[in-house]
Amino acid sequence: MNETLWYVSRATGTLSIVLMTVVMILGLVLSGARQRAGTRTTVIQGVHRSLALGMLTFLVLHIATAVAETYVHIDLISAFVPFTSPYRRFLVGLGTLGADILAAVIATSVLRQRISQRVWRIVHRATFAMWPLTIWHGIAMGTSNEPLLRGTTIACAVAGGVVLIWRIAGSHRDSARRREVLRQEWT
Amino acid sequence: MRRDKRGEDEVVVDRVACTAHGVCSVVSNGAIELDEFGYPVPSRLTMGRRDARELVAQCPARALLIARDR
Amino acid sequence: MSLVALLDDAGLTGRGGARFPTSIKLKSALETGADLIVNACDGEIGVHKDALVVAEHLDALQHGADLLARRVQWAAHRGSATERRLRNAGLRVLPVPSRYVASEESALVSLLHGGRARPIMRQAPISTGGKDAQGRRLRPTLVLNAETVWRVSQIERHGAAWFRGYGTAEEPGPRLVTMGGNVDRPGVYDSEAGVPMRDLLEAAGAVDVRGVGISGMSGGWLRGRDAWAATWSDAGLAPYGIPTGTGAVHVLGRSACPVDHLAQIATFAAGESAGQCGPCMFGVPAVASQLERLADGVLPAEEMLDLHHRLGMLPGRGACRFPDGVSRFVASGLRTFSAEVDAHLAGECVLMQERAGATR
Repeated sequence: MNETLWYVSRATGTLSIVLMTVVMILGLVLSGARQRAGTRTTVIQGVHRSLALGMLTFLVLHIATAVAETYVHIDLISAFVPFTSPYRRFLVGLGTLGADILAAVIATSVLRQRISQRVWRIVHRATFAMWPLTIWHGIAMGTSNEPLLRGTTIACAVAGGVVLIWRIAGSHRDSARRREVLRQEWT
Repeated sequence: MRRDKRGEDEVVVDRVACTAHGVCSVVSNGAIELDEFGYPVPSRLTMGRRDARELVAQCPARALLIARDR
Repeated sequence: MSLVALLDDAGLTGRGGARFPTSIKLKSALETGADLIVNACDGEIGVHKDALVVAEHLDALQHGADLLARRVQWAAHRGSATERRLRNAGLRVLPVPSRYVASEESALVSLLHGGRARPIMRQAPISTGGKDAQGRRLRPTLVLNAETVWRVSQIERHGAAWFRGYGTAEEPGPRLVTMGGNVDRPGVYDSEAGVPMRDLLEAAGAVDVRGVGISGMSGGWLRGRDAWAATWSDAGLAPYGIPTGTGAVHVLGRSACPVDHLAQIATFAAGESAGQCGPCMFGVPAVASQLERLADGVLPAEEMLDLHHRLGMLPGRGACRFPDGVSRFVASGLRTFSAEVDAHLAGECVLMQERAGATR
């Protein structure tokens, strides 16, 4: 039983990283598209939003099983408060921190119509910190005797990294023009 | 302020927030047309309350607002 | 009698161009305890009346401002003589970047609250306060043009009847008009609604008038012969689809190419967009580039339809009225100077041929 939990935890953890990477890539494509096509954008946004919520199921399962199994010692507090785990304090902490940021990102997105756009944007941008932390957590904690899990995480890192670079490298003409005018004297 | 579930709401475009994603045109089934640069043509549009809510929620830039009752 | 009632009796409307009844603005400002910004920027092209009011009537202007609010800020373009005069008088100056839209009402309110001098998208009048896009809280703020504030002080001293002794019943009161362009004596003139435009043109020494531009980029055009015959008032100019607005009169001489002039102003306008609203930041440059090609005689006639379509897409689709103004200004110019436009489409403008020869 305990061993099952351990395996479920690692499988759901890897799956969470895969889904998180896909959601992030979709988000980057949404905000970074050079050409905007309404239909494509609408579909990508729909998948981005629902997959983000879907991912939560696996993440909750990952955290719950990691706490429940007794193979290594991870307590309930360290599932919420980063860097408090008795077992591999730093690496588990990275995952906890990532999950905390994710909770904030999702909460602000669900409440988006009721909070200021500015707050939403700032929190949403924390994804740029959350994702690498989580990847680091995944690669460092995956063991070498399961090359599939570690390989999957590394593949996510590469895919996400490539899209991140694509996102930073260019922009839509709307944001380009806004930035251009903003550089002029306005105060 | 009236707040019955049925009835109509006026959706207005926040021109500063709008970044031409074009989602409003798709979600409104073309009721909101886009100009040559991809920005919605009408600045305000009256529609059923539920449709209005849905439209507002779908805007990626949060550039659609329900008009304040006067 | 309260100041609100007095201004209502006098029928004073905003001298910044929008013509909104000052009494209504003041009433709401008094209810909310609004601060006052006296707008002495002369933001419209070809307008210099605020500078004159500050230079020659500063005491009366200050008196007017004191009547309207307890806390007053004086908006003037950074580095201008007006800014220097206001500072020397020990007034609290709000230095405004020398940009077209920067002196728009909501842009000034944004600047006052530590934001950029760019117009704010709003659902309620900016004078009632609110929040900007960055979430900054904006206090209720009354923005009045310098000439308007000066008129308030005059009305308080001389009474509503004195004020109504000038102008027409619908557009009462004395008004400042800035004459410029192809005239011998450019400058600011005391005038009023209802006077023949001929008087203004003769006073400023206009000769060889091809056309007359009214109210800068927020107005429109009259052909020379219409200008000599027209009456200077909103009602008198209504048949031409233009308002007296900011009170600028720009005379275009016979030796000037109106198409070239339109293209130059439109290109200037394209660079003045605050880069906030898509229809403006892309629409105005698109219009300008078509006008540039028209001026150069290389615009195919069938593209005129696109140009008019683009002009029709500008109004009512921005946080401020800047794109509306540009649209009206250009459309009015194309209509007024249709003969010159047609010549350009056929590549026949004399001035254009001269210019092409010079660059060859």
